[in-house]
Amino acid sequence: MTATEVPQAVSAVTGVRPPRRRRSWRRVWMGVLALALTGVVWQIAAVLIGDSVTLPTVPETARTFVKYLSTPYPEVQGKTLVEDALISTGRILAGFVLGTVAGLLLGASMAGVRLVRELADPLIGVMRPLPPIAFIPLLVVWFGIGEVSKVALIFFGVLPVVTIATLGALDAVPAELLHASRSLGASPVYTMLHVRLRAAVPGVITGMRIAMGGAWTSIIAAEMIAATGGVGFLILQAGNYLQTPLIFSGIAEIAVLGFAFDGLLRLLLRLADPTVRR
Amino acid sequence: MSLLRQRRPVVGTGSGRLLDQEPADAAGVRLREVSKTFSRRRRPGRTALDGVSLDVEPGEFLCLLGPSGCGKSTLLNILAGFVPADSGEVLVGGRPVTGPGPDRGVLFQTPMLFSWLTTWQNVLYGPKARGTLTPQVHEEAERLLETVGLADARDAYPHELSGGMRHRAAFARVLINRPGVLLMDEPFGALDAITRAAMQRFLLELWQQQRMTIVFVTHDVEEATLLGDRVCVLSGPPGGTKAVIDIDLRRPRSYDDTETLEFVNAKRRIREVLER
Repeated sequence: MTATEVPQAVSAVTGVRPPRRRRSWRRVWMGVLALALTGVVWQIAAVLIGDSVTLPTVPETARTFVKYLSTPYPEVQGKTLVEDALISTGRILAGFVLGTVAGLLLGASMAGVRLVRELADPLIGVMRPLPPIAFIPLLVVWFGIGEVSKVALIFFGVLPVVTIATLGALDAVPAELLHASRSLGASPVYTMLHVRLRAAVPGVITGMRIAMGGAWTSIIAAEMIAATGGVGFLILQAGNYLQTPLIFSGIAEIAVLGFAFDGLLRLLLRLADPTVRR
Repeated sequence: MSLLRQRRPVVGTGSGRLLDQEPADAAGVRLREVSKTFSRRRRPGRTALDGVSLDVEPGEFLCLLGPSGCGKSTLLNILAGFVPADSGEVLVGGRPVTGPGPDRGVLFQTPMLFSWLTTWQNVLYGPKARGTLTPQVHEEAERLLETVGLADARDAYPHELSGGMRHRAAFARVLINRPGVLLMDEPFGALDAITRAAMQRFLLELWQQQRMTIVFVTHDVEEATLLGDRVCVLSGPPGGTKAVIDIDLRRPRSYDDTETLEFVNAKRRIREVLER
């Protein structure tokens, strides 16, 4: 085999897939196109309706969005879109990190210790179908309308999801994979860290993605009910004063933040699991 | 399947690659009255093995043959040290088996590669886990990848490999530990017929050169006849040794031998014991 033949031969012989750059760019452009089409439909509908309280036009919404990025709303004691976004993101991050760590520990100990599993399983089973927002009034009674109640809300929403994902992912690691590691000479501890936990990482990250979606639902609801800042609070205020363009601005902001966080977790998944890399 | 054709593993092509690496010392296996019962809640346990005795010579290729549920996999798991025997004596290389270890290489029904590691990292897993990663080990890993025909796939992840390539990667991952015994649990059972024939040929050529002891579990009479020096037919369930049949077909064997009269006769002898 000469040197020039090598690259082609490698993919033919090894079955190693060539990189799929072009395809992923196609997906990006199709996504942009879908967004643009949505904008066009929105604009046509807005022009036909002709009432900016019911449905503002796209340029008007965009102008409002840009304006309130640096202008506080409401004007007295209000905050800018950027500040609200930072407040909401901070709450999410604090609750999400705490909930994920606790869920990882709980899920791992459930997978490892039978007594813990038998005790925690029914609790998680009862807790999981409960919508976290049902706890908002209780958390306000306990912790007030400050940051603690928000973080606690996210925490209790994230915890069961990550716990179940961790437990499921650890249970799904085949015993033979652990046997393979042991018979290659790895100690039980090395096998635990480098095979069992490692094999569970993609499942845990998938659980984190689901939990992140739920966390945004909870935080916006909480900020609408009891808060003095955050994107949910902004949307509610804008609604009270029929500031429809600002409502859309807030929603768009949530969409962007949610997409960004999911993108980060997807990136993490790609790093952890070569089978999803393309 | 043209994949396997295009780049055949270099084992047995006369290049002698494996010969410049000292062959591992083949270990013998000795089983005496080995019994195993799996307990079930509030019911009498299921006896998987009922007093199995068996000797495997160093460097011998022994096939364990029997119907499903006869305990042949259990026997292999006991040899590998994954489950303890309830009673009886289990010796590999003269030492009692107390747990899994790199002196006994295990190949499973599926390759059980670590999906997050490349072929190269998979092969080096054992030495790395034991903290014995040296430049010599790297060289040997390179040689082994060449031996199993995966030199070009060294940075590929398992999901990017074909079925046969994954099995060959699993071979390399085990062989880097220089095990005295290879324990194989229906390793080609999940492969398609053509890949399977290629893997059998690969295994025969590998064994012809390395001469490690092999205990090979199968339920395929033809496979057992083609590969084994002896075939141990297990009865069951519960499993016990029914008969140990010598296969005196000439070595080295190849796939063409399956059409000879001696081969067919050997197969018939095994089948008669199975149906007894």
